[in-house]
Amino acid sequence: MFKHKLTVMLGILVLFSMVLSGCAAAVPAAQPAAPAAEGEASWWKTASQSASCEGVTIRGISESTPPSNFARETLAPAFQAETGITVELETTSWDEMYNKAINDMQAGTGIYDFVYIEQDIIYQYLANNYLVNLTQLLADNPNLASPDFDFAKFTSFIDNFKDADGNIYGVPMEAFVKIYLYRLDLFNDPAIQEAFAAEYGYDLAPATTHQQYQDNATFFTQYGTDNGLELWGTTVQGNTGHASSFYEFFESIAPTFGVYNWGINSENWKATVENGGGMNSDAAKEALAFWVGLLQYAPPEATQSTWDEVAASFAAGRAAQGWVYGENAAWIATDPDRSKVVGNVGVALPPVSEGVMEAAADGSGYIGYYDGGSFGLPVSSKNQQCTLLWLEYIGQESVQADWAVAGSRIVMESTYDDPKVQEVDAKTDNYYTLMKDEGPLFRGAPPFPFHSALREVVQPFIWKALSGELTAADALDQAAAAADAELVNLGYGQ
Amino acid sequence: MKSSVMRNALGWVGLYGLWTTMIVVTIIPIYWMIVVSARSRVELFDAPTLLIKSFYAPNYLKPLTDPIFQRYLVNSLVIATSNALLVTALALLATYALSRWRLPGADNIFFWTITQRMAPPAAFVLPIFLIYTRVFKIGDWTLFDTQLGLILLYCVFNLPFAVWLMKGIMDGIPVELDEAAFVDGAGRWTVLARVVVPLVAPGLAITFILSWIFAWNEYLFAANLTSVNARTITTGLAAFVSVTGTNWGEMAAVATLAILPALIFLVFVQRYIVTGLTFGAVKE
Amino acid sequence: MRSNRMGWALLAPTLAILAVVGFLPFLYVLYVGLFDWNPFSNQLGMQWAAVNNYRRLVFDGAFLDSLWRTGLFAFVSVSIELSLGFLLAQTLVKNFPGRTVFRTLYVLPLVMAPIAVGATWRLLTIPGFGPIPYFLDKWFGIDYRLGTFADQAFLTVVLMDVWHWTPFVTLTLLAGLTAMPKEPLEQAQVDGANRWQVFRYLTIPMMMPVLLTVIFIRLMDALRVVDEVFMLTSGGPGTATQFIGIHIYRVVVPKTDYGYGSAMSLLVLYFTIVLCWLLFIALAQVGKQRE
Repeated sequence: MFKHKLTVMLGILVLFSMVLSGCAAAVPAAQPAAPAAEGEASWWKTASQSASCEGVTIRGISESTPPSNFARETLAPAFQAETGITVELETTSWDEMYNKAINDMQAGTGIYDFVYIEQDIIYQYLANNYLVNLTQLLADNPNLASPDFDFAKFTSFIDNFKDADGNIYGVPMEAFVKIYLYRLDLFNDPAIQEAFAAEYGYDLAPATTHQQYQDNATFFTQYGTDNGLELWGTTVQGNTGHASSFYEFFESIAPTFGVYNWGINSENWKATVENGGGMNSDAAKEALAFWVGLLQYAPPEATQSTWDEVAASFAAGRAAQGWVYGENAAWIATDPDRSKVVGNVGVALPPVSEGVMEAAADGSGYIGYYDGGSFGLPVSSKNQQCTLLWLEYIGQESVQADWAVAGSRIVMESTYDDPKVQEVDAKTDNYYTLMKDEGPLFRGAPPFPFHSALREVVQPFIWKALSGELTAADALDQAAAAADAELVNLGYGQ
Repeated sequence: MKSSVMRNALGWVGLYGLWTTMIVVTIIPIYWMIVVSARSRVELFDAPTLLIKSFYAPNYLKPLTDPIFQRYLVNSLVIATSNALLVTALALLATYALSRWRLPGADNIFFWTITQRMAPPAAFVLPIFLIYTRVFKIGDWTLFDTQLGLILLYCVFNLPFAVWLMKGIMDGIPVELDEAAFVDGAGRWTVLARVVVPLVAPGLAITFILSWIFAWNEYLFAANLTSVNARTITTGLAAFVSVTGTNWGEMAAVATLAILPALIFLVFVQRYIVTGLTFGAVKE
Repeated sequence: MRSNRMGWALLAPTLAILAVVGFLPFLYVLYVGLFDWNPFSNQLGMQWAAVNNYRRLVFDGAFLDSLWRTGLFAFVSVSIELSLGFLLAQTLVKNFPGRTVFRTLYVLPLVMAPIAVGATWRLLTIPGFGPIPYFLDKWFGIDYRLGTFADQAFLTVVLMDVWHWTPFVTLTLLAGLTAMPKEPLEQAQVDGANRWQVFRYLTIPMMMPVLLTVIFIRLMDALRVVDEVFMLTSGGPGTATQFIGIHIYRVVVPKTDYGYGSAMSLLVLYFTIVLCWLLFIALAQVGKQRE
């Protein structure tokens, strides 16, 4: 009796798995049209043959984001058709990606032929000699240097992936700026404008100062309450258990108060004011107090929000303004399947303290985060030449425009002028134009080879400030002291 | 008399009240997951209502028609089933040995086996990764990213449990039965197959079930020891949660799909759990 | 006939697999724990540190905090699971209409992947989206935000664990109750013992081995909980739900502090083993008494 049931059960399981594998075979992978031009086919083929890459499989790992998915679903099949090289791109979560890529490169296993390198992690990788010098590799293999590939065509974002001698270690695949988004329908409503002017004595507008930002936030939160709307004054990327809140504070908020490089003095690797750092400076404390204070004008999910949830809250129409990663700006403004505020999204530069804009303009400071990443080639890869072809393939001008539309990322100057991109630009209150013109005011993460180790030490204090367990001043005092200790531990600033 | 009726009635009300509450509390989270899985992205932030107003099928259709997701599902099925079979078989042999022979240090071996399950897992990811990629290496082939790799690894978590569960049950079977069979001229293996296995069958079933559920559900090692070919459904789910945190509808749909096979399984074999789950602690 | 060789041969495959995928990694962790090794520190490679990592642990406030929180979590949730499980198991011993339906529905959470459990509870608890904050606010005026209030987060994590694991406890205890000999209980009732006396002096002692077994298993798993808590709160707000498994994960994975994290792992493993060894001895003791 019992045996019988068990047999039946196993039978069902086996059948189930057979049916499923049957399905897997029957449904062919979607293969969108290859964006590359006809005439180039022969060059890629010849190059691939000359390095005997045909039939080779190369494997990469990346975060599962729209740009990576475009590379996997569209560029990889097109590349395979041209070269006979199969590209397996594993797209996974952010934490898992780092863990696996670092395990592989640290152990020298050679599982991955290319890895996603976020702008802020490159210095760790370079310090450990994980990556192949692409400039050198191209020079050594002239037969593999595509006429359509040139490092000079990229925006200055590529500078993040250079060593001291100007050698390049990654081919940029995405770049954005973290931008100030606001709701056009609310800010342009005459009745609202009138009410705001009556209350604050000046005209409602996208904020240029922190006080104005706070006034806007206060006003719209009250407006939401008065009108029974699910509307608050601002978003806060304030997850109290995730690195995203650390990043919003140190990369987007603190710089607008003139606190740069996480408040760490790069001369002597110290964070506390006593030792010459700035992590617990008055400006930093003011910044943290301002930002934590915004929580009372933010939707209640703010302390559980990472970058994804912030975008979701804004797209659901729950916030009047906020700092939002640029990769989300396009879909929030244009995609009615995912967003309730299509056509109502305005973009502007974030509010800043006095003197910060000038410092950013002359290059001594910055007003926010220029984010992005590239694909690099680990030294441990066993298929370096074939992977080089792939990296060149994704670095062609011809593939950039579709990629930009799919993932709202731009890594080349010429992409801005493409009609497809300009069409999206018009719908997003000229986000791309702003990124092109004002991009230099933003900057990537500081070149810290100890990036993630230090972040892990500092972030609990930011979380505790957000949850109210510590005051802003206490949190930063403790964070700076912990940072000083950890830096010594890591071998910096003894 | 009257008060006894009253007390009885009160007992019934209490009993059903308790169970109704328990069932509601148990079901609501799962039910809510299904509610969310029926919503499209723009409907997500609608006021929380427990009614399913419309059903947004793409949440289910998209993963189900995705060949990658299908491969995850097949991998999970293969890995869980193979691991459960392996663990059940090994535990049968091991506990038979522990119960029928007076092996020196058997108690310590037994406890050592259990300690395998106690380690905080995170620090063991790197060593196992190194062993899989460097020690088990034949040419270009390694245990990394193979179904076999996970099948073997899950033994570390499942075997201790299985050995424990089976040990008690095995001890509960009188040795006299074995000996009677020996007298009749049966060999060791015949005794095991004809006398012991039928008697421990409920225990084997529960061992199989619990091992299967654990293997189906494991996440950390599956995520770190696979890349493309041997990924399982839980890694797919996690990728959803942390990456497309905004796409809760699809995430809920995937979560629902992920627990479905386990649910079917459970309903099938539920009754054996009650007879097999004694850990030998009670001897009849 | 009874040569030990056959016994060892039957045991061999189990031991071999455990040695390769269990013991070998353990040795490696033991080895790494003796080094100062963070690949992203200024000095490349592993630096010999002897027992320095273990010495540091004793003064590491964050580690000790996390240890204490884990202990509290394990104690509270296992206690609740045990009491509730015992109550429910007792109601299930006798047949009553609907028993099978109740039991079947009730054990559903048991089969859910911890990571799916965490995801499900996250869907329940996000303000503005999940029903829990919505109804708590509407009916009781309670401001429920997991990301802000540490107590609420801790409580919710305990509730989630209770929700997930009480079915297992119930089933195991039910198996024990079902297998318990009936005569002593009936005899006691004939002798005029009241319900409480029967429970206190007969059921509990007879169930003691099962209870200890359940405590052992649940404690072992509660002390190493990671997946579902990480999915629900990521250890927050602040470090309010950062249990030792999550703490070690953060040290080893994002912080890549391999040496220190390995030492930490082993110390925790050691504590767990000691705790479980005590239970194991108690279990063996109870077993002997009954024989």
